Amino acid sequence: MPRAIRASERLRALLLAWTVAAAVGTFAAAAEPEQSGTTASAAGEKTPAPPSPAQWLERMNQALMTRSYDGTFSHWHGGTVEMLRIIHRLQDGQVAERLVSLDGSGREFIRTGSSLACYLPDRRTVLVEQRPGQESLVGIPAVNAQTASFYDIREIARMRLNRRATHVIAVSPRDEFRYGYRLWIDDSTAMPLKTQLCDTDGRIIEQLVFASLTMAARIPDSAFQPEVSTEGFRWLRNDTAVPAPGPTTVWSALKLPPGFRMMLHGAQTLPGSNAPVDHLVFSDGLASVSVFVELRPTGGAAAGTEVQSARVGSSSAFSTTSNGYKITAVGEVPPATVQLIASEVRAEETATPAATRR
Amino acid sequence: MNEELDSQLSAMFDDELASAECELLARRLSRDAELKARWGRYAVIAATIRAERGVRLNARVARRVSVLVGSEPTLAAHSLPRRSARRWWRPVAGAAVAAGVAAISILWLRAQAPPGGAETAAPLAAVIPSRVASPSETARPASAPAGADRYVVPPPARAAMSVVPATELANYVVAHSMFSPPVARGNLLSSFMTSESGGTVAVSAESAQDPPRDAQSNPR
Repeated sequence: MPRAIRASERLRALLLAWTVAAAVGTFAAAAEPEQSGTTASAAGEKTPAPPSPAQWLERMNQALMTRSYDGTFSHWHGGTVEMLRIIHRLQDGQVAERLVSLDGSGREFIRTGSSLACYLPDRRTVLVEQRPGQESLVGIPAVNAQTASFYDIREIARMRLNRRATHVIAVSPRDEFRYGYRLWIDDSTAMPLKTQLCDTDGRIIEQLVFASLTMAARIPDSAFQPEVSTEGFRWLRNDTAVPAPGPTTVWSALKLPPGFRMMLHGAQTLPGSNAPVDHLVFSDGLASVSVFVELRPTGGAAAGTEVQSARVGSSSAFSTTSNGYKITAVGEVPPATVQLIASEVRAEETATPAATRR
Repeated sequence: MNEELDSQLSAMFDDELASAECELLARRLSRDAELKARWGRYAVIAATIRAERGVRLNARVARRVSVLVGSEPTLAAHSLPRRSARRWWRPVAGAAVAAGVAAISILWLRAQAPPGGAETAAPLAAVIPSRVASPSETARPASAPAGADRYVVPPPARAAMSVVPATELANYVVAHSMFSPPVARGNLLSSFMTSESGGTVAVSAESAQDPPRDAQSNPR
């Protein structure tokens, strides 16, 4: 049986392959997330080393925002794995970023300075949003002292991952309004080489693992050009000429999940529409929820209450109507959290009739 | 792990496994984590074997591998199995340049997995960067654009059943991402990039006579 002979030869090759694979460390990315997470919880000892776990989170955030890098990573969610590529550059205070789906959808997200473009080949659509002025790196929620009271943040292990020394930081939510993380943070660059998003019970619901990552000194402008052909695509832009109106109606949330507070309140226009949208951002320092308030077109379904919910991977969206306004909450939080927040947003002037309606 | 599986795996890499067997093995691969890990290692070695066929590996990897190969004559001996072997190898090898060796196993597995269905060729074709000369075996549709550095994504088989208008949701997600903490933002945008292709966007709508806050038993 010729195959048997070859098999024994192969065995030697296989042995070598194991050595190679171990030396190269590339197979880490191919593996599915471990179901039990035992490797992570085994080490268990708290390290009194200078940077605290919370400081590691902060370092990681800084690295993600301010370093220049080019990496390929796998995204695992709901039993599906897809490869993506991220290119990020901070140069002369300008952020350029490109995220490409290397598999099925071929979607690309490209940010250059204050311009955001979203290429959706699966919808034959390009969304272009011109954002006002310089807002890069400001308004991003940061880990604060309060964050620690809603998450348990600790270093659970130091681990070698893809040939790199990493700190494994576990961020466990103390209630059901937010997700937790397990982060493999690179010791020297503070980049998260592996990220697991976990629910309240610690079950992994999403995982990102870098297969390759280069901290590039220079990234050319050409790296931020889309590769997808846009022939026959529909282009939707936002109307930058329409001045964002002053806040004629003040929106606020009557009640919020513990730890969330309003970080920002503004108005903008979105691609494909020239009607202004109010945008509120709520955050607990690690998770954030945006609420968009739009005046519903009069007539049609404006009379009834319409409730919709959607999932985008692990993120949630919830939409409802109130007094002729459509209120939509979006965030990387459990569905109940966006639902709670969206349902609690009211115009301050009209709060009374809304409240007496039941 | 038994020898038969090993032999099947290696036969698969030489394209000497009957297609029915291939499919069986692929199906098994998708279920068996250990087997999959082993497959990943095979992918590494096979990719290194073919490194001399014009696929440039990461220089450091290549160096290490060449040291190991130099000390291992057996590997060098059967490093060039010819025949029809590269029917599916070419695209995989091309992808290696862009995505690194580790990505290969995932890509290939996904392309072979039964639920992937009709679009088996598309993901591989799309992932090959245009800078690398596209091997003829990837069988681009005739309508592919002549422009060398563009790729075309085939339209989805059927429209996603979405109640929230898709572009509106996309707008919201993108606008939100500007104010999302970095780590959460990575998850959000990655999900968004992959969501509808994988069919993981679930949308539900209710006619909602009950406003949701009644369910919260909100005392005010």
